[in-house]
Amino acid sequence: MEMTTPALAVDKLAYRYPDGTVALCDVGFQIAAGECVGLLGPNGSGKSTLLLHLNGILPDKPGSAGTVSVQGELIATANLETIRRQVGLMFQDPDDQLFCATVEEDVAFGPSQLGLPKEVVAERVRSALAQVGLTGYERRTPYHLSQGEKRRACLAGVLACEPSILVLDEPTSGLDPRGRREFMALLREVPATKLIATHDLEMVVEMCPRSIILDGGKVVADGSTMELLDNEELMLAHGLERPHSLHHLRIDEPFFWKPPQQPGR
Amino acid sequence: MSGIHFGHNHTPYAPEFRPTAGVRVPFAWLAPEWKLAVMLTLVVGTAVMPLAWWYWHVGAGVLLLTVALSGRVALKPLLWRVLWLLPFVAGAALAAVWHGPTGPGWPTVAARGGLCLLTVLIFAAVTPFGALPGVLRRIGVPALLVTTMALMHRYLFVLVDESDRMRRARTCRTFTPKRRFGWGVNAEVIGRLFVRASERAERIYLAMCARGWK
Repeated sequence: MEMTTPALAVDKLAYRYPDGTVALCDVGFQIAAGECVGLLGPNGSGKSTLLLHLNGILPDKPGSAGTVSVQGELIATANLETIRRQVGLMFQDPDDQLFCATVEEDVAFGPSQLGLPKEVVAERVRSALAQVGLTGYERRTPYHLSQGEKRRACLAGVLACEPSILVLDEPTSGLDPRGRREFMALLREVPATKLIATHDLEMVVEMCPRSIILDGGKVVADGSTMELLDNEELMLAHGLERPHSLHHLRIDEPFFWKPPQQPGR
Repeated sequence: MSGIHFGHNHTPYAPEFRPTAGVRVPFAWLAPEWKLAVMLTLVVGTAVMPLAWWYWHVGAGVLLLTVALSGRVALKPLLWRVLWLLPFVAGAALAAVWHGPTGPGWPTVAARGGLCLLTVLIFAAVTPFGALPGVLRRIGVPALLVTTMALMHRYLFVLVDESDRMRRARTCRTFTPKRRFGWGVNAEVIGRLFVRASERAERIYLAMCARGWK
């Protein structure tokens, strides 16, 4: 079988905060191009810290070990620009990410940082806003957007950089059911490799054929979402719970929803 | 209800300083650069012209009144804000009592200060804040300063909302008379707000870095 380069490869990654707290310990996994993977774990398990490593934001100082590769390229200071172009990171709180005065300026921030000509930036802004359904919101201020609109504006800001990998931190938190559903539909349409850190297990059941469970900074399970989430003992042991939808279905039943075949796996 | 309105009862900050979203902008035909130029000319002129050149001050006053009326700026709250000047006028009056009439008298301070303050307030009322960073960049103000100003404006309201939420949460669990513990609790809230603001600043910086900030 031919070996393909994984979109993301994390190998023996460890990180310790300046106060000595161990955030990540010997974390390792690979994600193939086109995969959609759920990253699960209780609060404080190291999910957000791990996501910051995938974009090259951490480590900012010595104190970490291990490697992260994006499309086969090891993250290093010299190639951070390329890495950040390839990995789009969406933060948990939209107010942290929408830091410009208007939606248009915010979506244009990434492409402008890439040094693209003004016309290309304008086209990317137009296209990204259309993709997330926010055409006409260009002059709106982030402060006045609803939570769902803020999320979509954040996604537009990330998509405007045309990343091949999307890394999302709690993308559905704070959304009402309609906003959540719309946001999930949007995510499905994005053809990038996705890693979604979330507590929304129902979303993981619907969107991610594969899941990784992180607890205490370590990967404690990595495999089929259905098998992991159906394992009540495993879920409870790591601060999670079996999703409600799985209480009504058994994965060995013939009519049970089967996850789509993952590319490259 | 149209027009620009000051000092809404339920908001701790003035609506005209809030981020603008589809708000009607008075004198939209006049570029913000020109508004800024007129404002600076009026302020500097009023500050340096001797009071003997009364026609400048009267002219400035008439111009400001015309702008305020045609821009439908709410006058009552505007005049209330001019009262911010009162401590300075009182200071000038007290200084005159102590040292005799050596410096500018309180009528001069009141007239000049009042006109300058009115100019700035009316400028703020007829110019959306969102237009200012672009103007400042174009006239050569250092980019870092403009970015810092824009970020402060963006997050000021987020912080005010956060402090409101904290105040409400505190009120919900306040069972003792306000006077006994008011100051201590207030200090704690301010400290907590400061810590939260620092943490948010760190997250904003990371979000900027994630999208290629150099």
